[in-house]
Amino acid sequence: MVSPVSDAMIRLEAVTKQYPGTMTPAVDELSLEIPEGEIAVLVGPSGCGKTTTLKMINRLIEPTSGEIVVAGERVTEMDQSELRRGIGYVIQQIGLFPHRTIAENIATVPKLLGWDKARTNERIDELIDVVQLEPEMRDRYPAELSGGQRQRVGVARALAADPPVMLMDEPFGAVDPIVRSALQDQFLDLQHRLNKTIVLVTHDIDEAIKLGDRVAILNVGGILEQYAPPSDMLREPANAFVADFLGSDRGLKRLGLLPIRNANLEMGPVVAPTAHPQDAHRVMEQYGVDWFAVAEGKRLLGWAPGTALETAPDVRSIPLQPYRTRIDVGSTLKEALDAVVSSRAPMTAVFDGDDYLGMLSADRISREIVQ
Amino acid sequence: MTLVAEAFVDWGWIGDNLDEIWDKVAEHLVLTGIALGVGLAISLALAALALRFRRSYTPITWMTGTLYSIPSLALFAFLVPITGFTTLTAEIGLVSYTLLILIRNIVAGIDGVPPDIKEAAVGMGYGRLRLFFEIELPLALPVIVAGMRIAAVTTIGLVTVTALIGKGGLGFFILRGLQRFFSTVGSTEILIGTLLSVVLAVIVDVGLLLLERALTPWARRKVA
Repeated sequence: MVSPVSDAMIRLEAVTKQYPGTMTPAVDELSLEIPEGEIAVLVGPSGCGKTTTLKMINRLIEPTSGEIVVAGERVTEMDQSELRRGIGYVIQQIGLFPHRTIAENIATVPKLLGWDKARTNERIDELIDVVQLEPEMRDRYPAELSGGQRQRVGVARALAADPPVMLMDEPFGAVDPIVRSALQDQFLDLQHRLNKTIVLVTHDIDEAIKLGDRVAILNVGGILEQYAPPSDMLREPANAFVADFLGSDRGLKRLGLLPIRNANLEMGPVVAPTAHPQDAHRVMEQYGVDWFAVAEGKRLLGWAPGTALETAPDVRSIPLQPYRTRIDVGSTLKEALDAVVSSRAPMTAVFDGDDYLGMLSADRISREIVQ
Repeated sequence: MTLVAEAFVDWGWIGDNLDEIWDKVAEHLVLTGIALGVGLAISLALAALALRFRRSYTPITWMTGTLYSIPSLALFAFLVPITGFTTLTAEIGLVSYTLLILIRNIVAGIDGVPPDIKEAAVGMGYGRLRLFFEIELPLALPVIVAGMRIAAVTTIGLVTVTALIGKGGLGFFILRGLQRFFSTVGSTEILIGTLLSVVLAVIVDVGLLLLERALTPWARRKVA
């Protein structure tokens, strides 16, 4: 699962950190490659060296041995300040400068790099827009902002000089769960547009699965247990530690990452309005349900219970009820499963906008888990 | 009542000596200003040293603490044979007494800067000097100014003692008043010297408070 060297924006080669006076290293011979434009999440229990690893990349901590290469350059051979100005850095407490306005905070690295006023101002406006802050925030001080707003200023500040690489240490750790989820979504949106190479540290496995293109699970003493895309890891944990760390609802977590695929869709107990009542009986039997739906081309007209067929002369004359268990094709299998289990039907109708695509059954969903 | 007051205060003397009073107020302020300015400069340098080399902090506080504990009369008496009846003598004493308070407050103020702010700054490429002048010092300002206020009030009181070596600002009146104590003019001089010295201390204290507010606009803007 390791990419060719040429693709790696960040490469750790047998990096070890041993603090003086300790018996065991904090990070032990860690090798990792992070391809350009991807988010790699370092996750693990406390004492696993995830933050130490992150801080070795921008040399806030110097490795005892091993090599770290960023964008083809060995970090130990670069000037410390210059290296850091070229890497975005976000920490849990955000660390905004309380004596500087939001605009001045965002301008931190451009100022260090000696940008002129016009260029800096333009960039501030752009970033305030990018992280969805109100333009009035420009001249406020950090103390006047909410936790979520401060977090976004922290991200804007890290992005200011448009660095190709970002290091984020528990960036969503200081905000409440609801705000956190919204910020994560916004962060992923942003990343789709910006394509930065990001190393993110968290202790929250759900955050790791949600945000990471790749997840590195570290064990105490900085030992890498597994490094893989989250869906691969959920399907096939490398060992008991990883399985345990991923949690017992691993299958469900994996469903949360998998999209609905057209190949999984079935026609379902659906007939055309012109169909014979016998056709309806046949599809009900085929799918083992006591109801059927009626579709005309791509329009799902509704459904009726099987008993309606006893009194009606044909399908067309049966009064239909609107079909409620429906989901958009862009959803994940987890959302589809939720739609299924919250309804009486063992399946959900899948739509692309108004177009009916087919039915997705609990059976098909569970088959995806083991694949 | 009026009679008692008449016995101690000679209003005519005040009216006749306004120019001299004004001169002494100015001298008092100059002596205080120089002491605080020089004291602050020396304290900043010593505090920077203490922050850079932690081990030097204890000897620095020990040294300045010793200076602080010397009785002012004795200190001036000791200096006169060396530097004479000069402003320099006065200032050496006055500056000495500001150091302990100022160094302690500078170090405490800078130690009080939250570590996450420093980490963010260093992580974005701040060097040591930049960190000190652009982040640590401004954020330590409220604590440093608090030290300045104590030092200023102490110095204003202490300036009167330098009257003994021919300086003293308003202390000049207090000393001369003592020499002719059993006269209305004498008690008037003591009263004027003391009263104006206290007023100066209050004005300078409030002035420094306002200065701090002007320099730290961020500290008062908080979400309700």
